[in-house]
Amino acid sequence: MNRIAQGLVLVLLGAAALGTTLASDLYLNYVQGYFRPFLIAAGAVLVVLGVLVIAADLRAAARGADADDAAACGHGHGAEGGPRVAWLLLLPVVSVFVVAPPALGAYTASAQGASSAPDRVDLSEYRDDPFAEAGDGPVELEMREFVSRAWTDEERTMSGKTIELTGFTVPNPEGEGWYLARLEMACCAADAVVNRVLITDEPAPEKDSWWRVRGTWDEPEGDLQEVRDHRFTVEEMEEVENPPDPYE
Amino acid sequence: MSDSPPGPSRPPASSLGDSIVADWDGSGDELPPPEWGRPRGPRRAATVWLFAVLISAMAAANAWLAGGMEHEAFLAWATVFTAISFQALPFLVFGVALSAALTAFVPASFYRRFIPRNPMAAVPVAGLSGAVLPGCECASVPIAGGLIKRGIAPAAALTFLLAAPAINPVVLVATAVAFPGRPEVWVARLLASLGAAVVVGWIWARLGKTDWLRPPRNSHAPDATKAEVFRDSMVHDLIHAGGFLVVGAIAAATLNVAVPREWVNGVGDLPVVGVLVLAVLAILLSICSEADAFVAASLNAFSPTAQLAFMVVGPMVDLKLIALQAGTFGWGFVRRFVPLTLAAALVFTFLIGGLLL
Repeated sequence: MNRIAQGLVLVLLGAAALGTTLASDLYLNYVQGYFRPFLIAAGAVLVVLGVLVIAADLRAAARGADADDAAACGHGHGAEGGPRVAWLLLLPVVSVFVVAPPALGAYTASAQGASSAPDRVDLSEYRDDPFAEAGDGPVELEMREFVSRAWTDEERTMSGKTIELTGFTVPNPEGEGWYLARLEMACCAADAVVNRVLITDEPAPEKDSWWRVRGTWDEPEGDLQEVRDHRFTVEEMEEVENPPDPYE
Repeated sequence: MSDSPPGPSRPPASSLGDSIVADWDGSGDELPPPEWGRPRGPRRAATVWLFAVLISAMAAANAWLAGGMEHEAFLAWATVFTAISFQALPFLVFGVALSAALTAFVPASFYRRFIPRNPMAAVPVAGLSGAVLPGCECASVPIAGGLIKRGIAPAAALTFLLAAPAINPVVLVATAVAFPGRPEVWVARLLASLGAAVVVGWIWARLGKTDWLRPPRNSHAPDATKAEVFRDSMVHDLIHAGGFLVVGAIAAATLNVAVPREWVNGVGDLPVVGVLVLAVLAILLSICSEADAFVAASLNAFSPTAQLAFMVVGPMVDLKLIALQAGTFGWGFVRRFVPLTLAAALVFTFLIGGLLL
């Protein structure tokens, strides 16, 4: 890979980082929102660096010198074949500019299958008692908060409360009903974990369509640790446009 | 059919690019007389044309596809691949910039002043200085070579080589971000990596022979300005590490999408086997140390000790590092150094993982 190709690869890679953050919200399909400033900074550095390399190479060309040889190949990369692997840096560029892969959805959620009760549930990041503030009105909960509470609510304090959940549709191939699911992400889509509720009293909407459902927790009998799917009784539901951040 | 569309733009680009690269590399050996400098012009033009074709092909493929892509498994793969590449990118750029700044602006005498002459005493100092000086593992190999060349004891330079990519601040911050609310993970990573690096250094100081190491060659033109050295080492590290990072992202995304969760969960439940499986995975995936914590966090079916093994072994032993070390120090070195490092890393993983996680 010669110098000018290296420069162009860096510029394209930087453009991919800038294009998905500044020109669109595409980056939210892949990473957490707080990555935005870092992606912008990294993209800008890559573009500037690539331009500098190209400019230096063109200057060397104008001089008729081969100044780039020493810098480009000081320790025998030709023999290692090292730089050829750098062409792969174009793969993320092709991915975002050509394919623009969507956020993970029903395919990933069904591949992950059922989750079992987590070893420990940390509720400290949520409000202490979201139901007290809302009085009799509906309470909007993140899917992960609802599931965390459902797994620890031994007193069944959540039963009978009107709750609003937002998620996408995942068919249930094994039995009745369908799942309303949401992917929880710590950092990037590679670590996404599914949280879902089973809905049996409404016909299944189209796969991957997004819905806001209002209803109540169908509280299970017995040991919460034995629960496989949390059931939800729907009072009303409306289709929503894809939320700006598909993960939570 | 549906997963082939990006294909048309890629294979011609890389194969044509490779043939140009091959010609380019080959021509460097012939030492043409100065008046032959000009023939390079057309090659530059060819490269620019190649990229123009590539960009047009991407635009055309994008317009042609426009939402028509339906193959779910491929799209999930592409999403995970892009995600791993993108979250690693800022860390890679930042780490490479810092490492280039050190190469360009900190003279070698600075290191020599702080590292004792006695190898046994120099090893822990070198290990700890790895905690201060950031650098991707790809950057630390040439730095270690430079240190040896400037008179630092090889054992100390090798300890630095092992410690710097594993325990530098950028990596530890990335680890803390990847495991939110679990500070014991980055502490365990720091202790296990530092312990393994120092022990390897001591063993090397006691048993190592000088002729196992091929002396490193000079990596920069002697008359380059500091700004040029900075620019060139940054581009060099990015181009090298970046390509291998994409390889790692491809492998990780493929494992993520193709391997059913039940298999991984099944292996993850076995305590010792899970640790060894993730250690092997770290060697194969060759993910940059600035990004491997995120991948480790995504392997949440495994025990914390297994995740620790992934983060301790990866920056010290992986395919891309073995290739880099062989290129810098020779195969005679790799044959002895890599098994020793792997053994030390595993021992410390079990030790620290058992104590802290």
